[in-house]
This record gives sequence, structure tokens and C-alpha cells, in this order.
Amino acid sequence: MLTIEGAGAGVVVLAGRLDAAQSPSLQAYLDKLQGEVTLQCAKLDYISSAGLGVLLKTQKRLLPAGGKLRITGASRHLQDIFQYSGFDQILEIEPAP
Amino acid sequence: MSGPREFARSNDSLETLFEYTSEFFVRNRLDPRILPIVDFAVEELFTNMVKYGSSDGRPIEVGLACVDGGVQVELVDTGVEPFDMTQAPDVDVSRPIEERTPGGLGLHLVRRLVDSWDYQYSKEKRQSRVTFRKSFAKRAAGAAANDGDHNAHD
Repeated sequence: MLTIEGAGAGVVVLAGRLDAAQSPSLQAYLDKLQGEVTLQCAKLDYISSAGLGVLLKTQKRLLPAGGKLRITGASRHLQDIFQYSGFDQILEIEPAP
Repeated sequence: MSGPREFARSNDSLETLFEYTSEFFVRNRLDPRILPIVDFAVEELFTNMVKYGSSDGRPIEVGLACVDGGVQVELVDTGVEPFDMTQAPDVDVSRPIEERTPGGLGLHLVRRLVDSWDYQYSKEKRQSRVTFRKSFAKRAAGAAANDGDHNAHD
């Protein structure tokens, strides 16, 4: 399950698992946002390549318009996936404390 | 140990598939720190079979087993043409974002996250069988060098 909650000012709180079944709902949510978007991922336990696809598509849409996607609270699992996929070079990622 | 189970050929099966892996880890008192990696590999292989496999709606079989120092997972897809996922090309992850697409990333990451994976095809059964292993002691190549104090992660 994935929960998506808007926290105002381009901040989105994610919790649960971002897998192939859940990714379309996040994509639909993010498609409505502009500018700088922060995904608070402290309670996001899991991401697969389908989730990476959502992040990539969103970042490619936001950047040309002067916006960007930012990830905060990334767990060890998320950091590993971002590193091996090279997403640590194309997204601003703040690890969990 | 756990006998193989069948899962409907749909991404909607992922939730029950993850319940299956999680219950297996709890029941066998396995180190939960590798569970996200096992789930990741299972999802990528399973969804690949959903996307490119049989069109007759046959379920996909998934089996889990404890092996020395880790876990072995097997996915079996019947009624399909051969496709060796272990030979899927790598993705150049150093490309700038303008040139990046998500395609192929899943299998690229599986190759780096698991210890080993193997593909077998039976012409008689028209059956693809993918097996991978993940150990508790090792991390994927490249991670350890960047881990510092986190070497015991999995």
C-alpha cells in the first residue's frame, strides 16, 4: 500500500511501498504539481523500478520549467536503489538522519 | 521452507506476493534487512513476466527456500517463449537526465542487487524458470565501498 498526502507548498508525504501497482496513483498526483516538489520519504519503505520511472518522468517535466524534484528522508534501501540507478546524480536526495 | 505458490498474472498480485515473502522471512527468522532487496528482485522479474509472458492468463509460480547463508527464490512462467532476463543489456546510468529513460532499469538493478541469478528454459513445457540467490552477509558490489560504518546492513 502507498499513501500520498499533500503537506502544502509542494511538499508530498509518502508512506508505504512504491511498487508497480502503486506507481500510477503517484504519477497521477505528481502530474498536477509544478515548481519545486519535495517528496518526504521517511516512511517510504520500498521503491522499485516502476517508482523510479515516476520520479524520472516528473523530474524531466519539472526541470525545463525551472522546477525540480527533491527527495528527503531516504532510507538505506532507497539510497541503494538511487545509487545503483544513477538517480543520485539526477535528483536532489537527502538521506534519513 | 515454503512450497511454491501461484500468483495471478497481474501487477495487482504484488501485495499478496510481498505478504508471501514477508511471512517466509518471519517464519524462518531470517534477517529482514535483505527483504527489500528480495522483494525488489521478485517484483522486477514477476512484472517482466506479466508484461512479456503468456497471454493465456496462466498464473506465475513463485517459490522461496532457505539456502546456506541466504535465500533462494524461483519464478516459473509456463506457456511462454524463451526470454533470458539475465542477458538483458545493462543501462548506462551515467547518462544525463535528458537521455535517461526508465526502460531496462529493473533488470539492470537486479543484476547488481542479487548474488547470482540463473535462467533455464524447457522447450517441452514452454517454461521459463528464473532463480536468484541473496545472501545475508554480502552487499551488492559497489555499496560496501560507500558504506563506511554501515557494512553490517545486510
